[in-house]
Amino acid sequence: MIKNSNVIELKGIETIYEGERLPVIYDVNLTVKNGDFISIIGPNGAGKTTLLETVNGLLSYNKGYGLVFGKEIKKHKSEIRKEIGYVIQNFEMDPLAPFLCKDIVMSGRTGKIGAFRFISKSDWDKVWYSMGLVGMIDFANRPIGKLSGGEFQKILLSRALAQQPELLLLDEPFSNLDYSSRRQIETLLNRIHERHNITIMLVSHDLSFVPSRCKRIIVLDRGRIIMDGSKEKILKSDIINSIFNGNGGKI
Amino acid sequence: MIDFPLALLITSILGALLAGFACSTMGVFVVRMNLASIGYLMSHAAFAGAAFGLMISIDPTIGAIIFSFGIALILGPLAEKARLQSNIVIGFLFSFMIALAFIFLNFIPGHAASAKALRILWGSILSVSYNDLLLLTLLSFILVIFIIVFYKELLATMFHRKLAESSGVNTKLYYFAVLFFTGIAVSLSLRIVGGLLVFALIINPTSTAYQFFYDFKKILIISPLIGIISCIIGFWLSLISDFPIGASIVIISAIFFSIAIIVSPKRKKSKVKTHQAIT
Repeated sequence: MIKNSNVIELKGIETIYEGERLPVIYDVNLTVKNGDFISIIGPNGAGKTTLLETVNGLLSYNKGYGLVFGKEIKKHKSEIRKEIGYVIQNFEMDPLAPFLCKDIVMSGRTGKIGAFRFISKSDWDKVWYSMGLVGMIDFANRPIGKLSGGEFQKILLSRALAQQPELLLLDEPFSNLDYSSRRQIETLLNRIHERHNITIMLVSHDLSFVPSRCKRIIVLDRGRIIMDGSKEKILKSDIINSIFNGNGGKI
Repeated sequence: MIDFPLALLITSILGALLAGFACSTMGVFVVRMNLASIGYLMSHAAFAGAAFGLMISIDPTIGAIIFSFGIALILGPLAEKARLQSNIVIGFLFSFMIALAFIFLNFIPGHAASAKALRILWGSILSVSYNDLLLLTLLSFILVIFIIVFYKELLATMFHRKLAESSGVNTKLYYFAVLFFTGIAVSLSLRIVGGLLVFALIINPTSTAYQFFYDFKKILIISPLIGIISCIIGFWLSLISDFPIGASIVIISAIFFSIAIIVSPKRKKSKVKTHQAIT
């Protein structure tokens, strides 16, 4: 992967879902530097997930241009995805699902290992390391459907880390979690950013859980970036208060 | 009990065994990917295709393959984008396929039309030809290689398609490979198990295996095993009782599934822990 000081560069991006007429996000201009830790906040329907999935190419933009690691997303999406860890928004898992945690974590490395190649011992070493990093090594042989929300979230995070990504995209990593699990995930994210210097882009609708190492906040509203600045500046802003209806909590 | 020449008996047993293997191997993916409705339609399309083949005097397997692929090509992309209004589209196409099949059967030339029709409707031990065996063996071999080589991609896709896609797996390729191989397995097993029941051989053994294991690898091994055992016992039941072979196989696999539901350790545990999945 070509090293570029800008991990993400989006210029005038507009993304419309297939079959829809109105864009979910539009006129999005965003530059993310290597090693940044960014939180994207906004109300439900603001286009936060769409923005993340435009970055990793799961959704195609129809206007503007987007570069990730200096490569155009549309042309190189398979290649860049191998370097992007994606933690999807917490979804309900069938309790009888036939998957063990270790296999799910390994599945994060599938694209990186590549087709026609078998899983090697070194791949397993990376899986054990990333499971250890999130404190889930003892859960390796547990069924994925039997985990609590917090444990499941940690396995998804571990899955993304096993990929050894340069960029980590996290979609609502604190949703559906109790306070203690939120704190654990927050601590983990801080630790991962500190130790591995991975660029992290986190989407949240909850201002009370902006990890301490996150220095920049982007506010998305109705598909458009309305604020982009330091955490301190954004949190004190009047606009935030009006969006949050003055309660300083969830949007 | 019917007396069979040994060669015919061996051919028939091998045919049942291979059909059991191929169908219940594909079942693992079909069940996990929620493609049951498409597979169900595919088996009836294969039935209509086989009837069409008989009507125009070509090998019914060729007709079955063409029709089941047609359904896969039409419904695969629709289901993939979650636009399939299952109740309406499947209800419509299911009845349409059965209606087509009966029309085609009505026009089968020759005197033995009704016997041929019955064979593809509920299967026949006598229908297994050397070519069927050869094709089923080839399909089984290809399936084993496909699963071994692409195991990690298949597992990632089965767990969560979007996540697999996001880590660089071309999930569309594996999705359509599953539809493609299911269409072939259904078409090649049609003459043995019968058009009305072949889909049960895809669903029942896999659903049985799902009741016992949390490890995808184990399900991939046990499901075909249950499929094979269902076919062998069903074959024996058919011999001693003169039941149609397809019905015998499906009854045995349904009994296995019913027992599995009752004794499943997963269900006993899940009663306590299901609510803990998301806290």
